[in-house]
Formats: sequence, C-alpha cells, structure tokens
Amino acid sequence: MVNDNKTKILQVKDLKTYFFTENGIVKAVDGVDFEIYQGETLGLVGESGCGKSVTAFSIVKLLDYPGKTVGGQVFFRGEDLLKKTEKKMRQIRGKEISLIFQEPMTSLNPVFTIGFQITEALTVHYKISKSKAQEKAVQLLEKVGIPIPEQRINEYPHQLSGGMRQRAMIAMALACDPTLLIADEPTTSLDVTIQAQILELMKTLLKEFNSSLIMITHDLGVIAEIADRIAVMYAGKIVEYTDTRSIFYNPLHPYTYGLLTSIPRLDLDIEKLDSIPGLVPDPLHFPEGCKFHPRCPFATAKCRKEEPVLKEVENKHMVRCWHFEKVKEEAKKIAFTGRLAVSE
Amino acid sequence: MNRIIKKLLSNTTSLIGLILLFVFVIIAIFAPIIAPPLFSDPYQIPRMSWDTEPQPPGFPISDDMIFVYESMGEPITRDKAIFGTAQGGYDIFYGLIWGTRTAFRIGIVTVVFSMLIGVILGSIAAYFGGWLDELLMRITDIFLSIPFLVAAMVLTTILGRGLDKVMIALVFFGWMGYARVIRGSILCAKEDVYVMAARALGVKDYSIIVRHLLPNTIFPVMVQASMNIGSMVITAAALSFLGVGAPLGYADWGQMVSFARNWIIGSPGNAGEYWYAVFFPGIFIVLFVLSWNLVGDTLRDIMDPRLRGEL
Repeated sequence: MVNDNKTKILQVKDLKTYFFTENGIVKAVDGVDFEIYQGETLGLVGESGCGKSVTAFSIVKLLDYPGKTVGGQVFFRGEDLLKKTEKKMRQIRGKEISLIFQEPMTSLNPVFTIGFQITEALTVHYKISKSKAQEKAVQLLEKVGIPIPEQRINEYPHQLSGGMRQRAMIAMALACDPTLLIADEPTTSLDVTIQAQILELMKTLLKEFNSSLIMITHDLGVIAEIADRIAVMYAGKIVEYTDTRSIFYNPLHPYTYGLLTSIPRLDLDIEKLDSIPGLVPDPLHFPEGCKFHPRCPFATAKCRKEEPVLKEVENKHMVRCWHFEKVKEEAKKIAFTGRLAVSE
Repeated sequence: MNRIIKKLLSNTTSLIGLILLFVFVIIAIFAPIIAPPLFSDPYQIPRMSWDTEPQPPGFPISDDMIFVYESMGEPITRDKAIFGTAQGGYDIFYGLIWGTRTAFRIGIVTVVFSMLIGVILGSIAAYFGGWLDELLMRITDIFLSIPFLVAAMVLTTILGRGLDKVMIALVFFGWMGYARVIRGSILCAKEDVYVMAARALGVKDYSIIVRHLLPNTIFPVMVQASMNIGSMVITAAALSFLGVGAPLGYADWGQMVSFARNWIIGSPGNAGEYWYAVFFPGIFIVLFVLSWNLVGDTLRDIMDPRLRGEL
C-alpha cells in the first residue's frame, strides 16, 4: 500500500520537541520520522502522553511556551516549515494544512454561528465577498452531511449535537481545500455510531478532495478503519511504522503486540482481557535503554542498557526493538489468523 | 441579550436602579426645558443675587441681578431659585439640572476611555504572555500602588483647571482594574480549543483577540464599568470639592457641594440653617451613583453562573 509513485506531501525528519518546564526538560517528541503521500492516510497511534498530539502541533508550529521544537525538519511540499516565519505559517495553516480537534464541544466559538466560523475560514485566506462565502459555507455543510444547511448555518454551536458539531468542524477544516488534514482524535468524544459515521464521512471527503490525512488516535479500531499506514508511538518515539495490514497481522514491536492483545475480540473465548502492565513512564525520567523495557515481557539485559534504533527489518516494516523476531513468533502463536477489526 | 434585559426588568433592585437612571437621562435630555439657560453657555450657572451666604429655597431673583441681566440684554426666564442658592447666589436647581449632563459626560467618557486602555493592555498581556505580560502587569501594579485621588489631584493641578483635565486624570489613573479583569478572563479563555482552532485556521492574532476572545470575555469588564461610572462621578465631585475640578460657576455637582463647604454647619443654635446647600447636590450624587451600582450589581448577578443557578 505504500505509494511510491505518488507525490510526497509531508516529510518529517528527526523532529524533536521539548518542553522546558521548571522541573526539567520533557522530551515529548524525540526524533520522529515519517512521511505522507498525496491522498494517503497515516495513523499516529499511542497512549495518552506519548507525544502524538505534540507531533501534530509541532508540524504546524502551534506549540506555545514552554514547548519548543528544538531539532529536525518538516518538509511540506519540499519546503521546511520549521524555517518559515509566523506570517508565512499563517497562510499555510487552514489553507494548506488544516486541523480537526478532539472536542467538538469546545473547538467552536460559542458566541458565533457556525456559518460565521466557516466563512471566517474562507475570508481569512481568500478575497471573496460575504455572500459568496456564505454560499460556499452552505455547500460545505451539505457536503459534510448536515441536513437543511441553509438553516443550520445560522445556528450557534450549542444548538447542534456533538456529531453535528464535529461535522461543522470538518467543514471548517475543508473550507480551503487543504492538501493535508491533521485530525487529533476527532472521534474520541463521540459515541460509537456517530464515530462510524464521521469516519465514513472523512473517508469519502478525503477521496473527493484528494487530501492526505494524519489521524491521531489511541483507538486501534478507528485507525484500522481509515489508515493506509500506521506509526505507533511510545514515549516520544516511533516504535513501529508500517502499513495497516502488517500492524494488525504481523506486529513486530512488543508495545504494538500489547495494544493488539488488549482489544476485546469476538472470535476468541478469553476470560480476562490482556493489558499492558505498568504506566507510560514519567517523561522527566525516562528509563535507560529501551524506554519500553520496564513494561515489556520480552525485555532482556540488553534492553535495559542499549536503546534500539528504528530500522527496516522486513519489507517497508520499521521497528525499534532488539527482539522483534520473538515478538513475531509470539504473535503468531496467539494466532492473529482470526479476523481482526480490519475492514478491507 | 433579551434574557439580560428581561432579568434586569424583573428584578426589583435593578428596576429601581433603571428607573432612577431613566429619570436622570430624562433630566439630562430635557435640561433646556426644565431649566432654561440665561447665557449662551448653558453650563454657566446663573446667579440670583450677589449674596455670599446661601439663600433658602424659593429665593427670588434680586433687583440687582434683574438690572444686570437687563443691561446685558438677556431675557429673564427664572424669577426664583426653587432649591435656593449656593454661596455667591448661584442657583442650586439650575446647577443640578445641567450638572446631570456633566455627570453623564464625566462618568461615561472616563469609563469608556479607561476601559479601552485597560482592555487593550490587559488583552495584549494575557494573549501574548511571557515578558510582555510581565512588563505590562508590573506597569499596572505601579499605577495601582499610587493613591488614586492624590494622583488624580496632582495631575489635574499640573494640567490646569477644567473638566476635561479632570477626565484625563481620571482615565490616566483609572484603567488598571479593567486591565486586570480582562487579563484574567482572557488567560482562562485562551486555553479553550476554539482559540487553537482559530489559530489553526490561520486567523491573525489581532482578529483572534478582537473577534474570538473579547466577545467571550468582555462581560465582567462591562459589569465593572457600569459600577465605575458612579465612582468616577464621585471622584470628579471630590476633585471639584477640593477645588481642582470644574471652573467656578460651571454646572457640576461636585462644584455645588464645594459651594456648600463653608455652610455645612449653620450658625450657632441653628445647625441646619443651610441644609439645602448640601442636601440637594448630595442627594443627586447619591441617587446617581446608587442607580449605576444597582444596575451593575444585577448585571453581575446575571452573568455569574454560580449565582445564576445554572451550574
């Protein structure tokens, strides 16, 4: 599924974003590499606090003090965004790269109608008349599946349901036909049926607009629905990076493996659901060696001392683990032969 | 907005405040009819006599004055002082009626300008944060540590006598409260996702502050402003009372009280002899300030979600 023949939209190289707090430096994102091609969806998966949202905000340079991107490059259509001025970035944000947020409840301004907020997205970047923008906003709302858009456009966020609001958010994000969308857990605060609708909607719209998407989530079910490739993050680093199929059928990192075994499954008769022992390590005091070793069932003395590097071990399958072969075998034993949540 | 108006009208205290305010507005608007001016400058209080002592309510215009006005070619439209005269024969009734306009002007102009300064500085400090916030807020602290009345007095003295100078002084030392209030609300509101969403759309900082943050945060400032209109009028009156306010004979409530300064206590055995000289200007100021405070209080109650009973 890797699109070698398609144009590369975004390439993130060795991105490092640190938070300079009073208690010390928090390495929230510590050397992240990935790329994304036109029309492709990349899933960024990981637990809370693993740095996935910070990665997203670093790309569009929306991080506030005390967060700071200290190293790396973010090539967007061949130009390094990290070298761009705030003014140039403003022209890119919303027009070339749009964001969709987690909380549709709070990401719309309560004092304005949704029509106003969508037209604002348009008038910020294009010189168009108010009536034209209004017209476009109605079309957008129609496109995201909001019934009677002519009427909804004059309603305030509190008059809409959560799903409707997220649809309005998507309409805002798509207003200027962005090349790249970054969605930060867009379905987390919605209930499951609405989640499915929103994902379906995003899929169709991506195809229609031929936009790329970075989907940030902790929900493997969501990512299986929508992503072409997946990068699994742990403690500020990518630990496994390959296409969606391989993540689910051939996990090579113990963390990915742990995440997969902790999904409830209908096809297996298991009494107790597996979980990954322990917690995400304190970002101020990451363990030495492999950052996952305190929670890893495969950890050896080597893992405690030396940190593995992310390397391609199978065709287009990158993993950051000393013992990926053991993980592979273990995963086979559990037999991921049954159908997983992957819908293909 | 409709809800606010409805609440303001359904609450007894605020209704009293609104009615009082309405009466003052009527007085201010119809001042030329209620108290027809004698001079081309209507804010100049006409004198009813040359007496140094205050004269009781109903005091008729003296023959000397009739002669003066006639020789000036001014028609005499007032034959007696309904509320009496202050020292120097100034007509108290006339001064109070036209002073209502002055009070509105002082209150609204000073509050609007100090609010503007406070909101601009406070929102810049809160939105950008960092050293700019530190700098602006320390400046605010310095201004707050200066005693308001003394500072205003000194500045008015430096600038010279006159109502406009008083207003400049009041604005100059009166913006800090607004800056602090708006800074607090914006610090809180800027963490909301919609601000991040607006930034992610490429909206400029200026538009984010003006279009997204201020509509969500301005209300506490408005409440404070409505309460401050009263206190600004009091301070202006105090400055006039101390002799650094409006020029002599200008229709201003502070000036009217100032005229009464030597007559607060009457002659021995008759302490209340000149009661009208203090009472009428005093009651105007009290009612005016009270009306703004009542309205402001209710506005605060409406907007405070803890008192609103909706949380």
